[in-house]
Amino acid sequence: MAIAEQHVASAHTNSPDYEGFSWRSWLATVDHKKIGIIYIVVAFAFFVLGGIEAVLMRVQLGAANNTFLTADTYNQLFTMHATTMIFLVIMPMNVGIGNYIVPLMVGARDMAFPRLNALSIWLFIGGGLLLYLSFLTGGAPNAGWFAYAPLTQNQYSPGAAMDYWVLGLGLTGIASIAGGLNFIVTVLNMRAPGMTLNRLPLFVWMNLVVSFIIIFAFPTFTVASIQLLFDRQFGGAVFNPAQGGDALLWQHLFWFFGHPEVYILILPVMGMVSEILPTFSRKPIFGYSFVAYSGVAIGFLGFIVWAHHMFGTGMGPMANAFFSGASMVIAIPTGVKIFNWIATMWSGDLRLTTAMLYAIGFISMFIIGGISGITLASSPIDLQQTDSYYVVAHLHYVLFGGSILGLFAGGFYWFPKITGRMLDDKLGKIQFWLMMVSFNLTFFPMHIAGTEGMPRRIYTYEAGMGWEIWNQIETVGTFLLALSVLMFLYNAIKSIRSGERASNDPWDASTLEWMIPSPPPSYNFLHVPTVTSRRPLWDAKYPHAVGDEHGGHSKPSNVRYEYTDENTPGAKDIHMPTLTFSPMWLSGGLTIAALGFIYINKEILGLPEGIAALGFIAIGIVMVFVGIRAWIVDSRRDSPYMSSHH
Amino acid sequence: MSSSVSHGTGEAHQKPLLGSMGVDSRKLGLWAFLGSETLFFVTLITTHLIFYARTKATLAAAGTLEHLDPRTHYLGIELTTVLATLLLASSLTMVLALAASKVKDWKKFRVWQMATILLGAAFVGGQVYEFIHLYHEGLKLAPQYVLEGETVKSLYGVTFFTMTGFHGLHVTIGIIWLIATYVKVAKFPDSPENPMDIELAGLYWHFVDLVWVAIFTLIYLI
Amino acid sequence: MAEHVAHDDHSVAHESHSTKFYWMIGGILAVVTALEVGIFLVESSFSATMFLVILLGLALIKGAGVIAFFMHLRGDAKIFQFVFLVPLLFAFSLCLGFLKLFSNHVGIAG
Ligand code: HEM
Ligand SMILES: [Cu+2]
Repeated sequence: MAIAEQHVASAHTNSPDYEGFSWRSWLATVDHKKIGIIYIVVAFAFFVLGGIEAVLMRVQLGAANNTFLTADTYNQLFTMHATTMIFLVIMPMNVGIGNYIVPLMVGARDMAFPRLNALSIWLFIGGGLLLYLSFLTGGAPNAGWFAYAPLTQNQYSPGAAMDYWVLGLGLTGIASIAGGLNFIVTVLNMRAPGMTLNRLPLFVWMNLVVSFIIIFAFPTFTVASIQLLFDRQFGGAVFNPAQGGDALLWQHLFWFFGHPEVYILILPVMGMVSEILPTFSRKPIFGYSFVAYSGVAIGFLGFIVWAHHMFGTGMGPMANAFFSGASMVIAIPTGVKIFNWIATMWSGDLRLTTAMLYAIGFISMFIIGGISGITLASSPIDLQQTDSYYVVAHLHYVLFGGSILGLFAGGFYWFPKITGRMLDDKLGKIQFWLMMVSFNLTFFPMHIAGTEGMPRRIYTYEAGMGWEIWNQIETVGTFLLALSVLMFLYNAIKSIRSGERASNDPWDASTLEWMIPSPPPSYNFLHVPTVTSRRPLWDAKYPHAVGDEHGGHSKPSNVRYEYTDENTPGAKDIHMPTLTFSPMWLSGGLTIAALGFIYINKEILGLPEGIAALGFIAIGIVMVFVGIRAWIVDSRRDSPYMSSHH
Repeated sequence: MSSSVSHGTGEAHQKPLLGSMGVDSRKLGLWAFLGSETLFFVTLITTHLIFYARTKATLAAAGTLEHLDPRTHYLGIELTTVLATLLLASSLTMVLALAASKVKDWKKFRVWQMATILLGAAFVGGQVYEFIHLYHEGLKLAPQYVLEGETVKSLYGVTFFTMTGFHGLHVTIGIIWLIATYVKVAKFPDSPENPMDIELAGLYWHFVDLVWVAIFTLIYLI
Repeated sequence: MAEHVAHDDHSVAHESHSTKFYWMIGGILAVVTALEVGIFLVESSFSATMFLVILLGLALIKGAGVIAFFMHLRGDAKIFQFVFLVPLLFAFSLCLGFLKLFSNHVGIAG
């Protein structure tokens, strides 16, 4: 422990290396903003991959009896497409924006646990890479994103693909739970003075709710996938009916996690939209507490509707009735939110920026998805529609029309804060309209094809079923959709290089992240603000408007713009945690150990069964211990107790 | 193990880790984590109970096999009572170690903390012994068990081993955590963060004991 | 709620108990465990429901003792109770819900 003492002694001379670009400053970072950016960039890369998978599938389905893809490739693609979009795109994109914005919004200098935050990002990346490694090692998982039993058992899924799925998602699951805990503690315990729960921005509220959903829902999935792993590796058969197991147990465990998961995907985006609409309507959100508490209600109800994904299994009238009813009830708080958003815009002074357009696009498309959701919630109707393209239409209206459009809204809104440059608004608007049109071209016909009986997850179909025209439209739409995503990529790269510089507060917004420079200095706030209302920045800018139009909070606000950088006098005294590679050691070790677990009962590298696996596991465990030791040393060096001690 | 950024202006704080909720961040994070862990273990326990009930139903349906109930055959009361007592005692010594650290009686702390570690190790040892024993008796990670020459199709074994195995893994992690805390306190006896470090390790430890309270009753007795 | 002062009363040191108190709790928990084992050994003298109720009750007492006194949740900050007891409640409901769904040999779920 001599090293530890040395570190302690040098704690104050060792100022963090945040300035300028260096690989080290990113790979060893514990800054929530950098970690947020890594999340966003990696999630976007996976978005492109998932998009390529989608395009390939749509090419195959563009014509009847097509032979562009084989059945097995098609199965791999739809499995990886959904797994990617859900676990490697929307979730981490939400987490990334949350990581960047939530601490700023509550007036904190970082997340509560910066090292744990770094652990989350590297574990997430490790899990994502592991999942994609499967393509190179004999084929990707091909049993669907919900991995229904007994398809996932060895006899139907030989090879290592399903093991890659279990362990890859296992790693991202640990990352999610760690991230959820981090958000919970940050939101509850790191708020600036005066930032009561009642004044939290709604985006923060939704992140808090989602974090609880994550830590409540993921353990069930973890257990189910561990048992699946035991089935595959040690002959357990928990989900294999042929040997006394129960395939429906998998479905129940999976959807007990899976339905809350869809709220994990949508609630943060609802939070983003609840920030964007007021800003560009020049009005406070209509019914703040309704929006906040309906989020809580959705989070809670989300745990008692899971079996609406299982009406087709014949659960019996009691269970069907219960889960139908509960699913209909959950539409109520969802509807409440929609009305609140519309009322926020009502008679507002609308500024139709690209971000605002996307927010409005989100609402309109989400309504369509919500309505098809309600139809599916009725078990007799669902029996007609389940496993058809109608479900595919529903889920894309809520996930693309909802989450992705909302994420674009958030992207356009916070891009200036994160990069210090504005995105090109004109190009953005063109891209928005292209995306709206192509999105509907791609997904609306699926309602019809589904109603006409086209099953989901088929790699080809006979001519003359009446599905061809719809499929052709969908495929054309897909190419246009891909084009609009590329347009955004072009816009982003161009704007980062040469976009118009962003001021602190380019949108004339109301929350704390806009009081500091774009991009903010590593320590965020030179002086942590004292908050006196729900819209601290507006109340400071428009002290006279406060009482009436802005919703009854007439408290004067002393929040001021800060123009600071790393060299501002006083900045050096702010104690930020130092760079550390310990999270990387830990997550690297866990990823390598996970790779080992995949091959416990399989040959790899020409070695006999198990040998290479044990080697990987041993290396992984050693790395984990190296990481833990470094972690303890580093956390002692940065401990706030220590800094007060010296 | 973990640590947090102090909130505020970065000047010396009397109680730097108390945030806007008036609590220590690490402690809040740990409590929330333990909350999440309850769902983890309850899912494991629930799947086991489901398959135990199903096994009993299968045996009953067969008419002559009811005496082959896996619990009564495999899970003796003696060993598990010893195991439960070990963990319970370790919870007591843990809380005594914490109490000693609060009054800075480091000698007492070391005694109680070491006792906790040893009791925990004894528990893990007992569990390893139990697993080996069960394995020889015919309960394996397989969808059947063999008793008195009869092969019974059942997932009792798999779900039992995953459940108790993951509990054992948690105990092992707890022991490592306790040792790390012990060493750290020994190296830096007057570090102001010691009591909180010990409290956190202790919380985790009590939770592991708590899980065994549930498993003891639900799996071994009922 | 979000005042930046330390709430000493319920944050740092929830009421610190004396060592004697802990020994007493430990003793009670040991007695309850002994009771559990005792009841298990004379199972046949209870009805099945009775047996279940008594054992579950005793386990609850033990668990509550560990949570309230060893983990000091009783009297500690309310937020700790929230983040632990709410998921515990979820967990109980999950267990009961699944046992219901999978009841009978071929339950409504299987
Ligand atoms: C009004 C609220 C909603 C209701 C009542 C509802 C209902 C349903 C039902 C009953 C199904 C099962 C269809 C079937 O497989 O037969 C379903 C599927 C699905 N829903 Fe929703 N839904 C709602 C909102 C959402 C939201 C907000 C999301 C995501 C952001 C979402 C994502 C999905 C997904 C991904 C599936 C397909 C799962 C699969 O792969 O099978 N839903 N929904
Ligand atoms: Cu659902």
